[in-house]
Order: sequence, then C-alpha cells, then structure tokens
Amino acid sequence: MPFISEILQYDSLSIVGLEKNVGKTECLNYILRRLPLHNTRVAVTSIGIDGENKDQVTSTKKPEIYLREGMFLSTAESHYRERRLVSELIEITNERSSLGRIVTARVVVGGKALISGPSSGVSLRRWAAGIKRYGIDLTIIDGAISRLSSASPAISKAMILSTGAALSSNINTLVQKTKFVVEMIGLNILEDDSRDTLCDIEAGVWGIDIEGNLVDFKITSALAINTLKVDITKGMKIIYTVGALTDKLLNLIAESKNIKNVTLVVKDFTKIFVSETAYRTFCSRGGNIRVLQKSKLIAVCVNPTAPNGYVLDSDTLCRKLREAIKLPVYDIVKNEYDI
Amino acid sequence: MTFKSALEIDCGLRYMYDSLCIMSSCGRKMLLSSDMMTTKSDIEAYYGRLNDIYKHDCLKIAHKLMYLKDIHNTLSRLSDGSTLDDIELFEVKHLAILSSQIRNMLTEQNIEAITLPQLDKVVEILDPDKLNIPSFYIYDSYNEALREVRKQMKAIQAQGDDIAEDKRQELAMLLQQHADLELQVREQLSQQLLAYVAPLTDTLDNLSCLDILIAKAEQIRQMNLCIPHIEEEKYTLYNNMFHPQVKAHLAEQGKAFMPVDITYEHTPVTIIGANMGGKSVVLKSLALNQLLAQYGFGVAADHCNINPVEEIALCIGDEQSIVKGVSSFAGEILAIDAVIKKIRAGRKLLALIDEPARTTNPVEGTALVEGLLEVIDHCNGAFILTTHYNIENSDVKRYRVKGLNNGQMDYTLEETHCGDVPHEAIAIAESLGIDSQWIEYTKKNLNN
Repeated sequence: MPFISEILQYDSLSIVGLEKNVGKTECLNYILRRLPLHNTRVAVTSIGIDGENKDQVTSTKKPEIYLREGMFLSTAESHYRERRLVSELIEITNERSSLGRIVTARVVVGGKALISGPSSGVSLRRWAAGIKRYGIDLTIIDGAISRLSSASPAISKAMILSTGAALSSNINTLVQKTKFVVEMIGLNILEDDSRDTLCDIEAGVWGIDIEGNLVDFKITSALAINTLKVDITKGMKIIYTVGALTDKLLNLIAESKNIKNVTLVVKDFTKIFVSETAYRTFCSRGGNIRVLQKSKLIAVCVNPTAPNGYVLDSDTLCRKLREAIKLPVYDIVKNEYDI
Repeated sequence: MTFKSALEIDCGLRYMYDSLCIMSSCGRKMLLSSDMMTTKSDIEAYYGRLNDIYKHDCLKIAHKLMYLKDIHNTLSRLSDGSTLDDIELFEVKHLAILSSQIRNMLTEQNIEAITLPQLDKVVEILDPDKLNIPSFYIYDSYNEALREVRKQMKAIQAQGDDIAEDKRQELAMLLQQHADLELQVREQLSQQLLAYVAPLTDTLDNLSCLDILIAKAEQIRQMNLCIPHIEEEKYTLYNNMFHPQVKAHLAEQGKAFMPVDITYEHTPVTIIGANMGGKSVVLKSLALNQLLAQYGFGVAADHCNINPVEEIALCIGDEQSIVKGVSSFAGEILAIDAVIKKIRAGRKLLALIDEPARTTNPVEGTALVEGLLEVIDHCNGAFILTTHYNIENSDVKRYRVKGLNNGQMDYTLEETHCGDVPHEAIAIAESLGIDSQWIEYTKKNLNN
C-alpha cells in the first residue's frame, strides 16, 4: 500500500467522495490507522457534519472515525461532548458551525469520535492556518459528500478521491463518471505571464488580449454571460472566470470561431460545473481549459457495494478504473493492504 | 440610557464606536449595555482610571485580551450547582490563567485602574499536575481508579483493530466505567469551584472593563482627543472642538477641519450664520462630545469643561414620519414640544435644535422661535438652537459663524450682541456655480 508514504510528502490532505456511501470514511480510517505518528503530528477535521453513526439520508451504518493517541482533532463542541476517547482540550476556536463552536483537542487515549469541523471553505482555511501553531505536520480534512470544495488546492495540497457503486451500479458508467472528475482534477496549470495577475482577481469574468492586457468583461459571474452581446473571445488569448464555470460559458466559447486561439482558465477544478458532453464538444472543437492552482490526486478508493445492497465485482472495477485513469485504485475494505 | 440606545442619536457616536478597537465580545457587550454616567463623581472616577491606562503602554495586554471569552453562561451554570463538562472546565481554567497573566502585567506596570482577584486556587484545582498550560482534561492524578481504567483501555487499544469479541466487550465496559469516573471527578471539581463564582465573575467583568479602557485610551491617541474637566455647576466650555467623523471625511479629500470654541451656561444660546457655515456640525459636535464625556470616552477638543446632564435631545429636523403620518413641520414642532415639557419638569437636559420652524413662512417662523426662547429663558441644563431668522429676544447668548471671507468660509464662532443674520445666501449659492440667470433675477428682485 504505497500511498501512505506519498501522503507524508504533503502538509495537507483532503478526502472527498463523489457520492454518499462510497467508502470515504473507511478510507479516512484506513489512512489514520496507518500513519506513522512517532514523527508526524496529525490534525483531523471535516467540512460540515461527518462521522455520524448512521448515514443521515439512507440510514445505513457508517464507520466511525477512529483517532489514535497523539492525534489532534477539531470538532463541534456538541460532538466533542459525545466523544468516546480521552482527549485534552487545547483550544476553543473562533470558528462556529451549526453544532456550536469548534474545539481542538489532543487525543490521550485513542478511540472513536464524531468529527464535524468548520462548515465553509473560508473558515476551513482559517482553521488550517491556526492549527499550525501546534506544530502540525499534516492536516487531514474529511470532505463533505459531493462537496469537492474542501479538496480545493487553496485548502489542501493533496487529495484522495472515493468513488463506488453508490454513484452508479453500472461499472462502465461508474468508470466514465469517475474518469471525468479525475480528468478535471488533472487539468494543467496555466503557463502564461498573466498567471499572477489572474490569481489576484476576486470576482467576475476577465480576459487577456493578444497583447497581454487585462480586460474586464464587467459581469459578476459566468452565469450572467448572456447579458454580453459581443463575442468575448475576439482578440483574446485567455478568458478567465473566477467563479463557477458552467455549460453556458463553455458552449459560448465552443461556438466561437476563435476557439483554437483562446485558453479558458478557472481557479481550480472545484470551480468546474460542466457536463461531460459539453466538455467533450468544447475539446473536439479545439478548446482547452487550464487552472491556476492544482491539487495532487494521490489515489482513488472504491467501494463496490451500493447502499441498496448491490455489489459490483471489486477486481473488475479496480482494473477498469485503473486502466481508464492511469492512477492507483484501491478497494480498501476488501483488500487489507499492507504498508 | 444605555450606550446601545445612544448610538441611535445621529451625531457621529456610531463612528466613534466603530473605530473603537475592543478585543473581546464581552467587552463590546459590556459597553453596549453600559448606562450613561450623570454625576461628576462617577465620571471623574472613570476618567481617573482611563487616564491611568492612557499613561501606560497596554499593547501587550490588549493582545492577551483577544483570548478573553465570554463565559457568563458557564459561570451562572456553576453557581446553580450544575456539574460542568470538560469544555466548561476548560473555559474556567482558561479565564483563571489569562487573568493571572494579565494581573502580573498590570502589577509590572503599576496600573491600578483595574484590580483582578487572586485566582491561584482555581488554577490549582484545574491544574493538578502543575503544568501551567491552559489546556484541560480530567487528569489521571484526579483519581487513581481513573488512571487504572485508562491504562487498561490503552492496553486493549494497542492490540490493533482486530480485537477479539470478549476484548471488545471489555473495552465497552471500561469506557462506561471511565465515563462514570470522569463524571465523579467533574462533580468534585464543580463543587470545589463553587466557592469561586464571585471572583471569577468579577474577573470576567474587570477584564471586559479593561478591554474597553484600553480601546478608549488608544482612540484618544489616534484621534487626538482630550480628557474633559467635569464641572457640575459651572459653564460648559470647548477649546478647538471638532467632529472626528467630519474631520476624517475632510482629511480624505485633502481638506482640514476648522475647530471652533464655544461656551454656554443655562441661558439659551442661538447660533446664526451663513448656509454651509457648519452650524449643524456644531450642534452634532456638541451632542457627540457630551455623550462621549458621559460614556467615559476621550472628547474631541483641545480642552473642555463639561457639565453633565440627564439627557441629550438633538432635533435636527428630520422628524418627519411617513409612518406616523406627520409632516416635517408637525414632526419637528412635536419633538420640540417634548423637549419643553421635559425642561418644565425640571429635567437637566442638553437640548440642541437645528433651525426650528424652518419649513414654514419666515414671519410665523420667527415668531415661533422667539416664543420658544421666551418659554425656555432659563433651563437646568442648556438650550442651543441655530436659526436663519432675525431673533429679537434680549435674554439669549448669541454666536455667529464668521462666514465668507475672501470667498473662503471661516467656520469660527464669534459672540455677537445683535440678532441680525448675515445675508450671504446668494454669494454662497453663486459659489456653488448654479444657473447664472437665476442668480441675476434673484439679485434684481432683491434690489427692487
């Protein structure tokens, strides 16, 4: 099981699932059990509620998060009171979630706990910065279901993606859907002199013309792209949308004659909300997308069991997925990999 | 009147509040709920403390106060005899350690404005291993049985994930025992801490108060404010009074604020002068500074004597209310009437009225203002109004804005004995660059 050593090369890791019940928490537990703690200080939190005993939607059993002695955890105070481990309370942070203030503690005797950390990306970033003062080497964020935002490179440098039969019970569809997400995560970083300029922009849709000048299209987001009556690609080499990238903008550029000369840029893959069809059309016409920041996808974990009881063949799934995405794929529950 | 309700008075107090750098939420809460001080002794005692803080560099203490948390709820639960949980015990320990750190800092600098109770006993209770760090859990040393249970739990945990069923059950049992033992310790701790509820509450309040004082002292430095003399019987006097918000706004445009001098007693005061002569700013400054003094802030002047009042009434003529269905005239007249009633009842009031009866015809308007001044003639506090009307009353103190001087506005107030208002409206209108034909016809009409 090689990915533990790879995780240790990064100072932050997020674990995100493409759907509920794809084995994200098992994956997290798997990692937490195997991290070498004698020389690494680890802090664990999650975005939003996570670590419930039961899945809130489908009422299927969910594995709890097991924390070992010496690990740090940040969770909401009401969940802290219910913990089943011995821990030393270190700080009551200024972050809040719907479950109360977020507290940070160090585990004294290992055990299980409910982890529900800061509920927004911004407060998660503040948390990550604040916890550094305890000499943390690795922060692990348990991402929320179908909220990839916690895997944003602005929050964590490395990520592990969980997928499984809960997303689709057809192997080919499952592979196809996962492959598309992996492709988005793997989009290359923009290599252009304007990259630093674009990184500083906080909202709107912008362009860089062929002479390298910054152009503001004066719309608040790509959602309002229809209000522009001009061809925004004209004379541009880069179109940058700070917020969400949707099919609408993608189709608009795909229809433009200038598509081959213009690069579409987004902040990072978490801002991409396009359908695969629209993306394929865009690419086949010669379009290309670049990101400003990229996170390292370390591995993909699969759970071949769907909450309704349907089970896919684990080996076939892993093999097909591995072939499609050219990355390590693991079924953690089935195979008790050795370190 | 609480500070929170005083913020509703449209005189720039909110600006002062917003620029106040209070570190803790309980400091902010304390200020908002604080009552206006009305006696010389209270105000002077408070300024004595503020001055003490002002003389010292309290930056480090302010940084410490960033960690102050509002634990009133925890303390009231403790005093009810409830058993505190880990988080609440942590809060208490945190407060006790923070307080003893700040206490040392205060002693080092000889600051006497705030005295913090000795909480060493509380720290002792919550720090049995004498680690002197603000983190907390139910330490092993509280209970031997607890230590033993934890040892056994650890031993089972060390066996890894695949523990046998009997061990699993044993672990579950140990967890239950552990919970019971912890509860027992928490009950004992809460019992021991019960005796310290009063000093802990005192500490929280005094630290909040310290936070406010440091913020006010810093504001005095930043805005060049002064600490006023409080004169219960004598007149109120301002040397170089200014309005911080207007001053800051002008500074943004590269302009300077022209400070004014003003003195008043119980005799009504009228301020006359050209449009755009800063009369309304004077009234707002007077209201603001009176409030600042009575809430213990630095006052916006070089020097001042302030006579405390029971209430401040600022009528700036925006009492029109669509909801209440009264016109601007009715709204204004009713507001002034309320002021008269309070003065009659003997209430010590600082009444500041901007251009009363301005929205009606000049003949009746003048009569209304003259009548108002006759009704007031003498009051417990002070009565100041601005006007454009020629007021004939003899028993008033008159100020006049110097006005246009070589095309430049001179905002200085000078005392005058004649009621004649300056005729500068057209010159000022002209300086605003309005339609030239309008000016031409106006001048022609005036000369006819």
